[in-house]
Amino acid sequence: MQALDIRPCRLDAKTEALRAEVREFVAEALKDFPAHERAKNWNGADPEFSRKLGERGWLGMTWPKRYGGHERSALERYVVLEELLAAGAPVNAHWIAERQSGPLLMKFSPEVLAPRLMPAIARGELLFCIGMSEPNVGSDLASVQTRASKTEGGWLVNGSKVWTTGAHRCHYMVTLLRTGPKDESNRHAGLSQLLIDMHAPGVTVRPIYNMLGEHDFNEVFLDDVFVPDDFVIGQPGDGWKQVGAELALERSGPERYLSSTQLYLEMLDEANPQNSRHSVSLGRVAARYAVLRQMSLGVAGMLARGDNPAVPAALVKDQGALLEQSLPDLAHDLFGGTRQAGSRLDQVMRYLTQTAPSFSLRGGTREILRGIIAKGLGLR
Amino acid sequence: MNQATHSPTLDDNAPSELQSIIADSVERLFDEQVTPQVLASFDAGHTATALWQQVLEQGLPGALMAEEAGGSGASWLEISPVLRAIGYWSAPLPLSETMLASLLLSRAGLEVPDDPITLIQIGRLGDLSLSADGHLKGRAFNVPWARSSRWAVVANDAGQLALVDLRQSTVSLEAGSNFAGEERDILHFTNTRISAIGPLQIADVQEPVWLFGALIRACMLVGALESSLDKAVGYANERAQFGKVIGKFQAIQQQLAQMAGAIGAARMATQVALRSACEVLQAEAGDISSLAFDVAVAKVCAGEAATLATAIAHQVHGAIGFTHEHTLHFTTRRLWSWRDEFGSDSQWAEVLGQAAIAAGGKGFWAGLTQRQF
Repeated sequence: MQALDIRPCRLDAKTEALRAEVREFVAEALKDFPAHERAKNWNGADPEFSRKLGERGWLGMTWPKRYGGHERSALERYVVLEELLAAGAPVNAHWIAERQSGPLLMKFSPEVLAPRLMPAIARGELLFCIGMSEPNVGSDLASVQTRASKTEGGWLVNGSKVWTTGAHRCHYMVTLLRTGPKDESNRHAGLSQLLIDMHAPGVTVRPIYNMLGEHDFNEVFLDDVFVPDDFVIGQPGDGWKQVGAELALERSGPERYLSSTQLYLEMLDEANPQNSRHSVSLGRVAARYAVLRQMSLGVAGMLARGDNPAVPAALVKDQGALLEQSLPDLAHDLFGGTRQAGSRLDQVMRYLTQTAPSFSLRGGTREILRGIIAKGLGLR
Repeated sequence: MNQATHSPTLDDNAPSELQSIIADSVERLFDEQVTPQVLASFDAGHTATALWQQVLEQGLPGALMAEEAGGSGASWLEISPVLRAIGYWSAPLPLSETMLASLLLSRAGLEVPDDPITLIQIGRLGDLSLSADGHLKGRAFNVPWARSSRWAVVANDAGQLALVDLRQSTVSLEAGSNFAGEERDILHFTNTRISAIGPLQIADVQEPVWLFGALIRACMLVGALESSLDKAVGYANERAQFGKVIGKFQAIQQQLAQMAGAIGAARMATQVALRSACEVLQAEAGDISSLAFDVAVAKVCAGEAATLATAIAHQVHGAIGFTHEHTLHFTTRRLWSWRDEFGSDSQWAEVLGQAAIAAGGKGFWAGLTQRQF
């Protein structure tokens, strides 16, 4: 049980003042941004908007100044994130670079890649994607088959990656691959993380359209791609450990419970407060929002204290996805059959009904997360 | 991973020394004394009088009262281990009610009697009314531990708190109980004279018994939820089938992980509400408080978690958990009972939902971050 303990985290007045500033900025910057675009939440990408955030100093907020950061607290960053997401701002372009690639470089390549690349991430100019899954490798990440073999001054990479969000617009891909031989007795050995320049010869990106016909995902083919020694992140062979640290950052943020927020807001506007079916159901959801916000914030507090909250992060993501996925079904329950096709509610519902299945797949499937939680409970 | 500036407010919920002392003593007491035999005897109709004596000796009923009033002056966070322990060990005592009643009486400037005290909120569960000349008329039902209580604290929504002696001829009682066999009685008052009355002002709190009652039940639910999870995990790690312990099966792991998630949410929600309860007692009249919001969230989350956890705990335990001999039912019958009391999760959800709908799509997020719609 200890492993699951999350303590409430209080925000100070300075952080709340920043919230007001962000809220004002967002209200102005997105004043004509329509509901069906807000529905995309952190799936929506607008590189121009990302650069604007960079100008405001709201990217790389916690990073040291020498890496282009602003040396603010993790909780100040948290407040900026939650305000952006609650408004449905299009943050996807910079999201991965700012959330996990920058911190990864800072930790594992502090003298080479971090000073070189992080300032441009903090400006919202340099976009990253992550190459983890492969055609035959999903949840079982340790069995990646993409390999790098040593060559003069660097590595030659061959293989392919799949479900790579944003690969078509990104500059770099943090790639998990095999540099050592496969060892069945230690499946996590021999894995490394390399940074691949998406414009390097031998890199091919092919779109995968989701069921809505939209293009976020890609397949990435790597054919004798040369990666210089400098672009190895950390030590060859330490890839698995590095990925583990990254996942706590990936799993606990406010994006793990806020993805369907626009649909909830639309339902509040459609609802009749005298109808107790409406108020009870929407009230249950309000309670879930309130508690998930506290849990997510609590994990942010743990990260800020330097803990490694891998299990609580898995728990928050699992609970958050349950909330996110319940909303399209609730909208169906309350407003199905009476909703007008093409109405604002309908447009938002249309998008979220068809993207919600991915919320318990991306960033670790529900089954994987629950396995981690079970281990934390002392099972296995 | 992110290099963060350390903020002194990050860890402000670390338990105080007093909280640790209270936790140690109540947990030791209940672990030794609230045995399956005591609980079975309670189920057979015997009140746990010896246990109540021990609780009195530890000074627990007055823990929330100011030291000047003869209490320990502990805060809601500091006494929260007591509420959790009542749930965790299924302690069959009018303890949480007496603690709350004592706090309210001392806040209203009234003398606090030594015996168990129950609680009634006028306007909820019955048709009781309090006349201007200090007489109670009407009926109150589901009154917790009325048979065991010499006194009742009665709150109205006009900021008054009365103390009434239940052992007088104008009060009659019909015995009732919740699913766990805990007294939930009907009281009839026929022009009953109250013993004392005082003004009860707690900033922004309209129905003190109902609101704090929901808070204590939410905390007790969390204790019982943790017990149900410990029992289920313990059983899954010990029961073997098909040549391995059942906790190794993914089907079992997935259910227990989901249960842990719901319990983690309930625990977080009650922690936040307890913190608000501490603040509201320090607040000035006219201050705005998020307590009503936080308690509603806590009771919804704890009630929903109880629904899920009872189902999963029983499923994991299989047939043995369904027997009277096994101790699981002491916990699950309380979960099924307490999720109803001082407002069910759907009642509190309705309050929240009406407020959220009134805030609308434009006001929702601002309300959520202020914890008040």
